[in-house]
Amino acid sequence: MTNLEQQIKHAMQQVADLSDCALVEPIEPTTLLLECGLDSLGYAMLVAQLEEDLGFDPFTELQIDIYPSTFAEFLAIYQQCANNQ
Amino acid sequence: MQSLLQQLKNLPKTGVITYEGESCAVSELIQKAAEIKHQNPQLYQGDIALGYTHLAEFVTALIAFDGWCSAIYLCPPNVAIPQGELIKWPLSGDAAMDDATKKQPVFSSSEVVQTKWYMATSGTTGEPKWYSHSFESLTASSKYSEQLQSMCWALLYQPFRFAGLQVVLQALLSGANLVDAAENEPLVQIALLKQNKTTAISATPSLWRQLLMTGQLGDLKLQYITLGGEIADQSVLDNLSRLFPKAKLRHIYASTETGVGLVVSDGLAGFPLTWLESLALPVALKVSDTQHLMVKPNFKVCQTLSAQTDPQGFVDTLDIVEIKEHRVLFIGRATGTINVGGNKVYPEKVEQVLMQSANVSQAKVYPKKSALMGELVVADITVLNADDPQQLKTQILINCKNQLQRFEIPTKINIVNNIAHDPSGKLNRKLNRKQQHD
Repeated sequence: MTNLEQQIKHAMQQVADLSDCALVEPIEPTTLLLECGLDSLGYAMLVAQLEEDLGFDPFTELQIDIYPSTFAEFLAIYQQCANNQ
Repeated sequence: MQSLLQQLKNLPKTGVITYEGESCAVSELIQKAAEIKHQNPQLYQGDIALGYTHLAEFVTALIAFDGWCSAIYLCPPNVAIPQGELIKWPLSGDAAMDDATKKQPVFSSSEVVQTKWYMATSGTTGEPKWYSHSFESLTASSKYSEQLQSMCWALLYQPFRFAGLQVVLQALLSGANLVDAAENEPLVQIALLKQNKTTAISATPSLWRQLLMTGQLGDLKLQYITLGGEIADQSVLDNLSRLFPKAKLRHIYASTETGVGLVVSDGLAGFPLTWLESLALPVALKVSDTQHLMVKPNFKVCQTLSAQTDPQGFVDTLDIVEIKEHRVLFIGRATGTINVGGNKVYPEKVEQVLMQSANVSQAKVYPKKSALMGELVVADITVLNADDPQQLKTQILINCKNQLQRFEIPTKINIVNNIAHDPSGKLNRKLNRKQQHD
């Protein structure tokens, strides 16, 4: 697991705890985001949390052509933005 | 102005409503509405507090009571019913018995009453504010055409709210079908919409982003796409027009208080600057010196708004706008109200909860821009003792979880040295709003 993937999963757990949500186990690359256990507000909180942790928010910095639907797509967006930093 | 019932009767064909796994024809609901009036003549010219059970019953009541009762209050669940002689509908068992024994007034069914429709917006203190609308103003943008009649609309908003009611009325008055998916999760919504061959959706930009995140939105054959309830940003508009290049893409600016709706269909965020001088619109628009959007509709607005109406008759919408490259762009609410995915958050309410912590001396709540939810809630606090900030934040969040709805809870709490006030001593909220959008 890459460092970035670890950070994202750690932040997901934090948001889940705060939202009283349970994350599914395990989260695979093909797991649908909306089936991970977080809802859309949870993802908005996740993006805000990751902005704190990583110092960037790819959803405002990049023109998102396709909204991510799987965990792998979500990770790829962060990876792309991290490479551009 | 014809009543809802009269307009439905004039349609060449009425649609079908699908809700909670059931379907029923609007023509059946028209019959049920007639039965309600026949069985409850005491309701004629009465003021009705309409509670929500399910979509078919709600629509039946609207058909029965518009043009027949003096007022319909669309009551969200758990909202206090306004004071006055209101009759709760559906009638409780006892009330039904009591009412049935009352002397029945004499009336002619042809006497159409100008019904006032009241809708609630949640107020700063949690007390709802009620605004009246006429059926004419509510249906000003509803249209009928053969093409619209063949549509199937998805209802993704609660129907007793302004945006949801607009979808219900548009579907009813165009003879289209309507499928209720307001209370479902996005993946279930998509499955329902596919199953019912939905061709028209009206949703908030945040909800559209959720539907985009399912990865299955493209399976639908959408012909009408409407965004409303929040500021529509260019990114979500671009995504939708790419996915459905042939669909009619519109984003709507609506003000519940004034009953005004503006429809923008050029695929660009905001609205054209030329609209500020246009005489072709059903509402005159201007921007005040304080960058507030002012509107002057061609129908009478609710009296509650007289305090925010200028001498020329323009009503202050309290929406802050900026003019950029020939567009008028929406920035946010002058009241400081935060819009989290279409849900209103009153900063004062959150601040009160934060201030309950003995260690918090000042609190200021403001929006943070979010690409997924439009805005999120952020709080700055000053504390008396900052020895263990993490523990303090955890305690505050636990308190927030106990007292606030999830979308109201700050996603970030900053411990700061001081909080800016304006010269009158009030918290300076405008500063944060501007910073967020610069």
